[in-house]
Amino acid sequence: MHKYASLILSAAIMLVSGAAVVIAMDWPLKAKLFPLVIGIPVFCMAAAEVAWGLFGSGQRGEAMDFQLSDQTPRPVAIRRSLQAVAWMLGFFGVVALLGFPIAIPLFVFLYLRLQGREGWLFSVAFSAVLWVVFYGVFDRLLHLPFPAGLLQGWLGLA
Amino acid sequence: MIDALFEGLLLVLQWKAFAFMLLGIGLGFWVGLLPGLGGVTTLALMLPFIYAMKPVEGFAFLLGMHSVVATTGDITSVLFGVPGEGTSAATILDGHAMAKKGEAGRALGAVLASSLVGALVGALALAIAIPVVRPLVLAFGSPELFMIAIVGIAFIASLSSQGARGMLRGFLAGGLGLLVATVGQDPQAGIARYTFDSLYLWNGLDLVPVLIGIFAIPEIVDLVVRGTSIAGDLPRGRLNQGAMEGVKDTFRHFWLTIRCSLIGTFIGIMPGLGGAVAQWLAYGHAAQSARTLEERQGFGKGDVRGVLGPGAANNSKEGGALIPTVAFGVPGSSSMAILLGGFFLLGLVPGPDMLTTHLTVTFSMVWTIALANIITVVVCFAFLGYLARLTVVRGHLLIPVIMVLIFIGSYTTNNHYGDVVLMLFFGAVGYLMVAGGWPRAPFVLGLVLGKIVENNLYISVARYDTAWLTRPIVLVLMALAVAAILYPLIQARRSRAKGAGHA
Repeated sequence: MHKYASLILSAAIMLVSGAAVVIAMDWPLKAKLFPLVIGIPVFCMAAAEVAWGLFGSGQRGEAMDFQLSDQTPRPVAIRRSLQAVAWMLGFFGVVALLGFPIAIPLFVFLYLRLQGREGWLFSVAFSAVLWVVFYGVFDRLLHLPFPAGLLQGWLGLA
Repeated sequence: MIDALFEGLLLVLQWKAFAFMLLGIGLGFWVGLLPGLGGVTTLALMLPFIYAMKPVEGFAFLLGMHSVVATTGDITSVLFGVPGEGTSAATILDGHAMAKKGEAGRALGAVLASSLVGALVGALALAIAIPVVRPLVLAFGSPELFMIAIVGIAFIASLSSQGARGMLRGFLAGGLGLLVATVGQDPQAGIARYTFDSLYLWNGLDLVPVLIGIFAIPEIVDLVVRGTSIAGDLPRGRLNQGAMEGVKDTFRHFWLTIRCSLIGTFIGIMPGLGGAVAQWLAYGHAAQSARTLEERQGFGKGDVRGVLGPGAANNSKEGGALIPTVAFGVPGSSSMAILLGGFFLLGLVPGPDMLTTHLTVTFSMVWTIALANIITVVVCFAFLGYLARLTVVRGHLLIPVIMVLIFIGSYTTNNHYGDVVLMLFFGAVGYLMVAGGWPRAPFVLGLVLGKIVENNLYISVARYDTAWLTRPIVLVLMALAVAAILYPLIQARRSRAKGAGHA
C-alpha cells in the first residue's frame, strides 16, 4: 500500500508538473517565470521519486506525520475505506441534488441507520438535533446562504 | 508611559468595554471551534456593529473575538484532526496523534497553556516594540521577505521526514504546494494560469477547503477503517488526567515555547507572511529542537513539543501583526486589513497619533489580547474534561457530524460548490500522501507561501536585478536555509556513526 500510494502520487505529480511546464511555455516571461522555476525542479524530483520507487532499495523514508492504522486486516481496511469514500461522494451528491438543509438530516439519519446500525428513534433524534444546530447557527444566526438543490430547480420548487 | 499602560487597563475594565470583550470572546470561541468558518470572515461580518461603539469598546469587541479564534481552533485540530482555523493546522500533526493515544487532555492542556504564553508574549511585544520596530520593518524589503519564505520551506521540507528519500519527498511536497499556488490570475501580467476557462479558478485555490481536505479526509477514512472512537479502545481514565501534565510540559519546554512565540511575533510583524506561515515555522523549529534522530522520529506521532510550538506561535502573531498596523497603518494580514477598517470606522488614524494622543487606546489593545486569552484559557480548562471525552465517543456518531462540518466549512469559504469538490480532491491527495509516507506540512507551507514567494521574487528581480542576492540579510538567511537542509543529514550521519561505534 505504502509503495503503491507513493508511486501513484509521484507519477501524478510528474505528469501534472510536466503539463504545467509545457502549458507555461506559451505565456509571457512575467507569467511563466515562477511556474517554470518551480515546475522544472518538481518534475525532476518527481521523476527521481518514481525511479526510486520502481528500482530503489525500498527505503521507506518515514514522514513526521500521522500514520494510517495497520491493525485492521487488509481486506476489511480496503472495504471500509471504499465505504468511507462512497459515503462522502454520496453526501456530496445529495447536497448537490437537494441542498444542504435537506441533505444534512437525510445523510446523518442514513449513516446512523446503515453504517452505525443505530435504532430508529436514536437516529431520528440525533439527525433532528444536528439539523436544529445547523439551522440555528448557520441560517438564523450567521445568515449564510445555502441554495436549494438541483432537484428543486428542475421541479420548479426553488 | 506607565500611566498610559494602567489607563489602558482601566479602559478595558469599564463595564461596557468588558461586556463587549466578553461578547467578542464568546463569538470567537465558536468561530474557532467550527472548521472553515474563519476569524477573518467573522471580523468582516462584525465590522458594521462597531459603528456606535467608542474606540476602546470597538477594539475590545473585535480583538477579543479575533485573539481567541486561534486558541479554540487548536482544540478542534487536537480532538478531531480537522483544522478549526487555517492557522491551527500544524497542531494536528502531533496534537491529534496524542488524542489518538489517549492523551487528549495532555495535548489540550499543552496547547492551551502554550497559546496563553504565546498571546502574552505577543501582547508584551506589542507594548514594548512599537517605538523600536520601525527600523526592523524598514530593513526587510522584498528580497528579505522572499528569503524568509525560502528558509521556511527549507526548514519544513528537510525536517519533516527521515533520510535522503524523506527529504526528497519533503521538497517535492513543498514544490507541489508552490506549483499549486500558481493556479489563478497571475499578479504581474494578468494571465489566467491553469484555469482551464473556469471562472472559479481565476482567484486561485482557497486555502481553507484545501487544508480541510488534506487533513480531515485521511483522518475520517482512518476512523471508519478502525471502527472505534478517536482514542481507540484505551482506558478512559487517562483522557482527562493529562491536562495538568500538558501545562507542566509548557514550562518543561518553556524556552522552546518562548522561542516559538517570538517566531510568531516576528512573522506577525512582517507584512504579508501571516499566521498560517508562523505555525509551520514554529513547528519546524520545534522539530529541530530534537537532539537525536530517534527523538525527531517521535514528531508527527504525538510529541508534545509539536503541539507547544504552533500553539504558541499562532497566538503570539496577533500582537506582532498589530505592531505595523497600529504604528504605520500597514496591515500585515487580511484580518489586520479589516481591523484597519475598524480604526477608520471608529475615527482613529493609525500612525504616530496612536503612540502619542491615543496611546491609552493602543495599550487597551494590549490588555484586550492578554485578558481575552486568559479568560478563554480559564474557560477551556473548566470544560477540558468534557472536551477530552469527545475522543471516546463512538466513531460512527462523530463521523457524520465531522462530515457535515467539513462540507459546510468548505462550502461557506466562498459559498461555492467548487470548494467542496476542491476539498474532496485534496482529501484524496492527502490520503495518498499519508498512505505513501509523505509529509503534508511542506505542501501546505508551499501553498500558503506561493503568492508571497512569487511576488517578492518578481519585485526583487525587477527592482535590484541580481544585486538582491548580495544583500547582507539575504546572505544570512541563505546560510540559514543551507544549514536547515544540511543539519538533519549531519545529525543522521552522526547518529549512524554513534550506532556503529556502539556495535
